[in-house]
Amino acid sequence: MQTKHFLFQAMSLACLLGLSTTGHAHFGTIVPSDDIISQEDPKKLEIAVKFIHPMEGHFMNMAKPKQFGVLQDGKKTDLLSTLTETKGKAPDQDQTFTAWETAYAITRPGDYTFYVEPVPYWEPAEDSFIVHYTKVCINALGLEKGWDEPVGLETEIIPLTRPYGLWTGNLFTGQVLVKGKPAAGAEVEVEYLNESPGNPSIVAPPSDPFVTQVVKADANGVFSYAMPRAGWWGFAALSEADWKLKQDGVEKGVEIGAVYWVHTIDMK
Amino acid sequence: MRNHLSVFLLTLVFLCCATHGAHAHKVNIFAYVEGGTVFTESYFPDGKPVSGGLIEVQDTKGNKLLEGKTDEKGLFSFPLPKNENLTIIINATMGHKNSFLLKESEM
Repeated sequence: MQTKHFLFQAMSLACLLGLSTTGHAHFGTIVPSDDIISQEDPKKLEIAVKFIHPMEGHFMNMAKPKQFGVLQDGKKTDLLSTLTETKGKAPDQDQTFTAWETAYAITRPGDYTFYVEPVPYWEPAEDSFIVHYTKVCINALGLEKGWDEPVGLETEIIPLTRPYGLWTGNLFTGQVLVKGKPAAGAEVEVEYLNESPGNPSIVAPPSDPFVTQVVKADANGVFSYAMPRAGWWGFAALSEADWKLKQDGVEKGVEIGAVYWVHTIDMK
Repeated sequence: MRNHLSVFLLTLVFLCCATHGAHAHKVNIFAYVEGGTVFTESYFPDGKPVSGGLIEVQDTKGNKLLEGKTDEKGLFSFPLPKNENLTIIINATMGHKNSFLLKESEM
């Protein structure tokens, strides 16, 4: 009886752990080496494009994206051919995973919104495909113009807070669009990038709900979150696509995510 | 009484304008060289051009090489005067001032 009971408990725990692993949020990620380029800064940005669990640092394989580009001064520039393949892993992962990187030289003042549309990622644990349309905005040379312009992706977050020059503790507000229309009640997952440059110590969440914060958008698709630590913060607004994709000949659902990354620094 | 109201309203309008000016914060200047000509663009953070701003160009020793005024689009261009680092200063109204260091390596 005792043994049986213990076994049951152990199995329940294993089950829970298994569940919690799949529960952790996937995030399409674009992180540039700098988010505000001033006159004295190098004009060349290093940009990393990944598919990760930001808090835990776990990588997933990312195939070459469907599109990758930059929106600046109302014009889109295709940068897909500039991406080069890299490998990465978290310390507790026993294999490496594919990620991407590029270098981009800033030539003019203004806001530069980088965006990526990955190829659909099959996630057996969720019996669903995942497509995260991901954006990040950097500002150059004092011209603060363009950050609130939509790229025109299937789903995207339009920042209502200027997405750079943010202090730790600031409220980030954004609007979730699906096919250009506000996504009422969309669920937005929020994670801190533990490997943020300048993060003084790795954050160890005391329990699962701390890993991924969750806020819901209102009837206009508008959500807000106050960021409690310096570094990079990812916002992933999730919706179910109204289209399906086939996996082994069977039609499966597609989770479409509108992801936005912002950077905060401490006031001092 | 009517007069008082007008003065009050005018003052309010003036204050609003003044505040707006102060809110337009920093003036910025950007410059690049193309075909032996230096192109400058002067702007406020929201993209509004600095019209009629005074431009002064200095060499590395701080000597004034030339000066000019920005047009209604905030633009001013001039032939490259020297192949060395140039400091290009924009002086807008109300004490708004900034500069751009155009490096020799970018010429």
